[in-house]
Parts: sequence; C-alpha cells; structure tokens
Amino acid sequence: MRSGGAMTDDIRVMTAQLAADPASMVFLPLGEALRQRGQLEAAEKVAVSGLGRYPESADAHDLYARILGDGGQLEQAFDEWDIALRLDPEHVGAHKGIGFLYFVAGDLERALSHLETAARTLPEDAGAQAALARVKETLARQPTGNGDLSGDGAGVLDVPPLDVDGADPARLFAGLEGAEDGLILLDTRGLRLGGGLTSPDGTEVADAVSAHLAGVSQEAGRTARLLGLGSWISLAAESPDGHLFMVAPTTETLLLVVRERSVPLGRLAVVTERAATVARSWLEGLR
Amino acid sequence: MRALEPWVEAPLATFLAESSARLTLLMTSAGQVVAQHGFTRAFDVMSAAALGAAIMASTDELARLMEVPAFHALSHQGAHYGLFLSGFDTPRGRWIGLVVFGPESSLGLVQLFFQRMVADLVTVAPGPEPTGQVLGEDFEDELNASLRTLFGQ
Amino acid sequence: MQDLAVALESITRVHGVRGAMVVSVSDGLVVAESLMEDIDGAPIAALTASLATRLRRTTEAAGRRQPTFLHLRADTGTVLAVPSSGDLLVVAIGEQDVNVGLARLEMLHLAERGI
Repeated sequence: MRSGGAMTDDIRVMTAQLAADPASMVFLPLGEALRQRGQLEAAEKVAVSGLGRYPESADAHDLYARILGDGGQLEQAFDEWDIALRLDPEHVGAHKGIGFLYFVAGDLERALSHLETAARTLPEDAGAQAALARVKETLARQPTGNGDLSGDGAGVLDVPPLDVDGADPARLFAGLEGAEDGLILLDTRGLRLGGGLTSPDGTEVADAVSAHLAGVSQEAGRTARLLGLGSWISLAAESPDGHLFMVAPTTETLLLVVRERSVPLGRLAVVTERAATVARSWLEGLR
Repeated sequence: MRALEPWVEAPLATFLAESSARLTLLMTSAGQVVAQHGFTRAFDVMSAAALGAAIMASTDELARLMEVPAFHALSHQGAHYGLFLSGFDTPRGRWIGLVVFGPESSLGLVQLFFQRMVADLVTVAPGPEPTGQVLGEDFEDELNASLRTLFGQ
Repeated sequence: MQDLAVALESITRVHGVRGAMVVSVSDGLVVAESLMEDIDGAPIAALTASLATRLRRTTEAAGRRQPTFLHLRADTGTVLAVPSSGDLLVVAIGEQDVNVGLARLEMLHLAERGI
C-alpha cells in the first residue's frame, strides 16, 4: 500500500530522477511501477522513451512487452520479447513472457521449453516454477499441443487478453488450512479473486467483505507513510468472534485470513504468510 | 473539480482524494471563487462563497473585538454532514476554504489534508498578481467568465 | 483530563511505545494525549480513527462483532488501537520492537475501566 501511497512516492521520486537525468536507467523500475499501478499509457511512454535511448537493452524490451501484454496487445508483446531474447538469449523475463503467450495460444511444448529455460536460469523465481508446474500439469492431461504460433514467432496471436478468470480461483488455496472458508484474495477494487468466507451463522459474506476491504490496503499504506513508519506490513483485528489478519501479497491485491479467536494472532500471521506466497505464485503464473 | 487556474488543480485533487470531501470551495477573502468541487449550480457556489467569506469576516471581527489572535478555522458538525471553514495565506493573498464532508470522512481527516493542500498550494503558487481594481468596469464579464469555467457552461 | 493523562502514561511506560492517546472516532480528533515531543498527535488521531472505522465496517460485513484490538505493523513502527465505550479509541504508536502484548493489556485495561 506496498501501499498505494508508498508506490506513489516511489513513482514521484523516480520521475524526478528521470527528469533530472533522462539518460538514467531508472526508466526501467519507473515503467514497471506504472505498469503495476495499471497506468499503462504513462508506462508505455516511459518504456518507449527508454527504448529510444537503449534500443539494445533486453530489459527495456521486456518492460515494453509486459506493458503491451497488459494492454492486450499480445502480438506486439511477443515481438518485443522475441527481440529481448535475440539480445539476451537467457533473459528470464522474456522466456517467461513468451512461455506464457505460447501457453495461452495452446502451444504447450514451446511454452514448456521457454519456461524450463526460465526456471533453469533463475531457479529461485517462484513465478517461473509455478508456471512451469502448471504447464506440465496441463501437458499431462492434454499431451498434444496445437498452437497457432508459427515457429519463428512471427505469426498472429489470436488469444484472449490476460484474465484472472482463466485460472481456477476456486482451487487457489487448495491444501492450505481453511482453504474453503476463511481466506479471501481480492483486488484493489474490492473484487474477489479467490477464496471464500462465511459468517458464524453460515451466510456467505466473501463478496461483501471484499467490497468493504477495497480501500484498506491504500488506507493502511497511507497511515503508515504519513506517520513516518514506512510501508505497511500487516493489519490485524481481534473481534470477540474471531481474528482477522491482512497482508498485501502484491501491490494490487489484499489477502484476508479469518480464524476463530482460539487461533493466536502469531499463528495467524504464519498462516497468512503461507497463503500470501501461494497467492503471489498464482498471480505470477497468470502473467 | 474545476479551477480557474491550473496550478490549483493538483493540490486540490489530492485533497479531495485523501479527505473524501463532498463539497469544496476555494475563494479569495473577498468571496471570489477560485476552484470548486461538488457544486452543480452556479447559484449554489455563489451563495456559498458569499456566506463563507462573510462568516470568516465576522469571525475575524469577533477576534479583533476580543483582542485575541484571529481564528484560523471553524467547524460545524450536523447529524450527517460536517462543515469546515478555514482561512489561509497564499502568494496570491488570503484565501478561504469551505469543505463539506460526510460520514465517510471526519473533521480530523479534513483538517489534516487541508493543511497539506495549503502547504502544496503555497509551494506551487506563482507570484502575486499585479494589483488592479477589485471591481473594474468589466467585473461582471470576469465573473461570468469565471462561472463558465467553474461549471463548464 | 489530568487523570486521563496519568492513565495514558501507564501505556507509554511499556517498552517501545512512543506515545498514547484517546481519540474521538467520529471526529478523528485528539481527546487526550501523552506523546514524545517529536510526535504530532493530530495525524495519528485522524488516520487511526479512519482505519478503525473501516475495519469496524469490515468485521460487521463478516458477521463478526466490532474489533476489540487493532494492530497495524509497518517497516519502522507499529500502531495499536482499542475501541472504548461510546465514540472513543485508545491509540498507541510504537517502535517496531514494541511489546505489543503488554501494550495491548494496558490499553484494554484503560478502555474497559471507562474513559
């Protein structure tokens, strides 16, 4: 709320740095921060400007590809990642991006190849590992790929835009304690991305709670920032009927875990962090 | 949100976003509107500006009679809405802010972010305007032009 | 008010607490405070009251009764809050390593005995 506020400050600082030194490589984190905030138009301007100065930077092409991908311009995104790979054949971001595009286009073999390269190059990248596991799982169920992409990547990508509904939100927290009831992942607009919650009398309340939590991440971030406490880490509330614990797995999401009062807040913090790790991997796998 | 001068827009927009104010009016101490948010009719904003400036003038006069420093701000809390009125100095002279807020906000939040807006306005304000007649021959034309800007008419 | 200031000192004596205050939730204004000199109480009151209000609505939506204790943990500090009778909130601001358990007990004690 990272807080919304802290992100805004970061963007302001980086914008000032870039204005003071247009040749600075700060355009890379600035473009990414703007992309994560959904300010795609501004992010694109920053990325294109940076590419003008550093046309041989694989990172710059990767940044531009992610912005294009978020905007649904998948064919152009593919081209940018393709350029990034020509400049740096082991660029993890580009392998992940192209792997994702092949996956959504149905070419699982090529998706597997790129994601394996990404996972091998950077084994600690949880997103690459999660995406790889997902492709392998899909391949196991449907071993023959029939993608629309041409071998050299120049073909037209007729694929749907990035969409969280494409994954399986119902299984998001499968295997975690309280996966069916007591865990909610939501976006900054208060829309539920996964998980579920019922009230003590059994009423389904996940969507209502999500709506009320829409601005909590921003508000917690604003409070911490304006009180000089840095970025917020977690927010806990004790009620006579149970405990609520909140963290932000990413800048665009909030995770709420609700448990009985008998569950100590310390244990709840551990449960929440585990769920946040799952949520981050799931979100990364969608990209 | 509409403002007569572009440099007012960013500080005011930040204030509106952070405070969740329902109505906001920035005016000179003479009651001339500088920016507004939430008003839908020119008549409302003109009346509010005149009344707000009059309240601040009355309060200043009371302070003078009591021989105490001027009151910077005053507030009223109703059943559903609160009103905050405050004067502040800018490089363009003394201005007044009038804010109406609902239960989604609070007097504390309005005060906090109002102070920040004032600091931002002082920072970004251009220098003082050249002095001229307050009520020039073309005052009515200027007023009408201002209202057109504030209401997009 | 003098008693209240003394009562707040039982909270500020806890290790890591930099200040304690009683806040009006609906106004977001300071009612009483015991803060270190470099701390401005007004932003704490306004922001914490706003956060507490939002969390109260959230717990209501979740079918739970209103919170009895709130804990915001941040990079370099902590904000704690305990709703009291009526419209009041006991708030403490502390370092990252504040003794949350003891501060919570002192705050609950103050809130329960009535302000």
